[in-house]
Amino acid sequence: MDFPLGQDIQHAEPGLRVERSQAAVRQYIEETLARLIDEVCIAEDEGQPSITIKKRPVNANINFCVNPSTGALETDDRGTKITYTWPGKNAYEAWRFSITLRVLAAISEAFYAGLVISKRDIYYSDPAVFESQQVVNTLVDDFAYTIGVSRSDLNVEAAAKGLVTGFYQVTTTTGERIDARLLTNDCLIPRVQDISRLDVSDVDWVLILEKEAVFRRLSRSNFHTRARAGMGLIITGKGYPDLGTRAFVRKIYDLLRSSNPPPFYALVDSDPDGIAIMSMYKYGSMAHASENKSLVIPCLQWLGLRTSDLVENAENGDELMSLTARDRKKIVAMLSRNPVLTVDGPEAEWRVELQRMMMLNMKAETEIKYERDGGLEGWIDWEMERRAGV
Amino acid sequence: MALPIIVTHRTDIFSLAVTDKQILSASGSNALQVHSTTGPDFPLVQTLEAHKVGCHHVVTDEKGLKAVSIGFGGEVLIWECQDEAWFKTKEVALTDVWAIALSADGQYLAGTTQNGHIKVWDLGADEEEIRDHETKGSFGTCIDLSPDGRLIASGHENGNVYIFSTETGRMPFSLSGLVKPVRTVAFSPGGKFLAAAGDSRVIVLYDTSSGEQVASLTGHSAWILSLSWSSTGEYLLSGSFDGKVKVWSIDTRNCVATHSETEKAIWSIKWLPKVGKSEAFATAGASRSISFYREATGG
Repeated sequence: MDFPLGQDIQHAEPGLRVERSQAAVRQYIEETLARLIDEVCIAEDEGQPSITIKKRPVNANINFCVNPSTGALETDDRGTKITYTWPGKNAYEAWRFSITLRVLAAISEAFYAGLVISKRDIYYSDPAVFESQQVVNTLVDDFAYTIGVSRSDLNVEAAAKGLVTGFYQVTTTTGERIDARLLTNDCLIPRVQDISRLDVSDVDWVLILEKEAVFRRLSRSNFHTRARAGMGLIITGKGYPDLGTRAFVRKIYDLLRSSNPPPFYALVDSDPDGIAIMSMYKYGSMAHASENKSLVIPCLQWLGLRTSDLVENAENGDELMSLTARDRKKIVAMLSRNPVLTVDGPEAEWRVELQRMMMLNMKAETEIKYERDGGLEGWIDWEMERRAGV
Repeated sequence: MALPIIVTHRTDIFSLAVTDKQILSASGSNALQVHSTTGPDFPLVQTLEAHKVGCHHVVTDEKGLKAVSIGFGGEVLIWECQDEAWFKTKEVALTDVWAIALSADGQYLAGTTQNGHIKVWDLGADEEEIRDHETKGSFGTCIDLSPDGRLIASGHENGNVYIFSTETGRMPFSLSGLVKPVRTVAFSPGGKFLAAAGDSRVIVLYDTSSGEQVASLTGHSAWILSLSWSSTGEYLLSGSFDGKVKVWSIDTRNCVATHSETEKAIWSIKWLPKVGKSEAFATAGASRSISFYREATGG
């Protein structure tokens, strides 16, 4: 069977994209189920019901590169096709076949009912069979990859994770209006599919934060309306961002990039995870390489934190922490594998900052700025103005 | 008097090593660079593409015939020099080694590990590990071998400084240490002193025959990352995180010169071999260049 690959889907206009994605999902489900039924109906013992999926490229053995035209981490690797047959050669294959079918059935049910389910819902429908949440997550992502659509096109969402506060208004597809401009409370990031209208036209800057604690602090102090750089949007994916958070930031970027776009900044900890999180927003992830081009934020600027800046101002260096063995291993893995960080890659400053961390064996958390002169807010003001050339 | 002549790199330079005629520099790029120090403008004579994810230490033996470099990926490369050209002879894997020092004759390599071990390998016997000293488990940030090869000194993140005898494998005495991370240790040319410095911004001199602390040199206002003794042992050079370079007289225990051409971290500092009466040294670091200075000795 030829898969209706979604190569053109990702590039199509939003309305058209949804239509084509839905057609592709419907076609895949119908063809796969029809084939299964055909096999089952064949005389006893002769039928060979099977499901074929494509596994996404895994990052250990394949080459990723940064596509200069999209600014996204991409790979030519098209993944590997795997066919699970019933009853298969052994108990393992029988189990793989049955969980693959179960996940497809759950997707199919949600898709035809027009409901959104979570990966968690699928797992908890029968934890004993699935064995782990990870098994479900991988299958859902592989189905999306096989059909050539994004996971949300399958109506499967992870629980919303990211938070946003700031100078925006949103109208949902159900007609609900949220005017967040003067609210002080933050909101869970809405699903991009549920947004019918998003107004961010008055935004002067966008700040992406690694940490929820830092987000809460800035949100409590109304930094989005009080920053010297003007009105802003503050977003956090609470660590490594989920696809929903990345899709939301990308939507803002798409809305703003045509006119004179405001700066997009990242404020992450000075440690390997901080740099990896920033890299995921700007260039995408290796796990979802096929979706990166529609999620990346090529204009993202690194606001901080840099260990080297902190050392210069450190009164005694006591707030800095030693790298752990895991941190050092992670840095080496990032420098060795992430094409963004190679010697000829696009982020020479990230590369050297990781090397400096190794040299000093030190890292620092964003919270370190709370106690410094001007506090976190004063420091962000200063850094934004410096970059804007004020 | 300073005559800075500058050779630029693409990224931070983390380590310098010198021979009679050349200076080797290790940086965050994928290549070691070799510059000639015999000509007036220090031309680039060789580029050694070797460490894909960057190189943090390079060391040479006394005659300048052997060099060892270690990359951020942990790979250790052994180089030999013929007719002023370097070639790689071997790549070895030495688990978790960080800072390295090479004996004057080039036979023994000493190194620190992330968990505070001090090890010695015999490069003449397939890198057999011949010593493994255990300390209190704090990251070994720096290491040096005394010129006669009898002593190894190491500095650690917890501020400890150790001296081991290479013959007995023992610590002849315990040193008082520095409270904050030690970033650099260096034996004087005659082996009489060990200098140690780091985040406490003080350079401590130990008498290597007694282990007593005999002097502390104060004046830096940032972390000290690198030390180097002049060939006669009269002067000690120090480079710090704020880009300052200081020259200290060991006789008077005073700072006799301060250079501040850059505000960026000096990762490495090295005297060049003495030519005639004048002595010269090189500094390198986050400014991404090697600066050469000529120092009129005698203050």
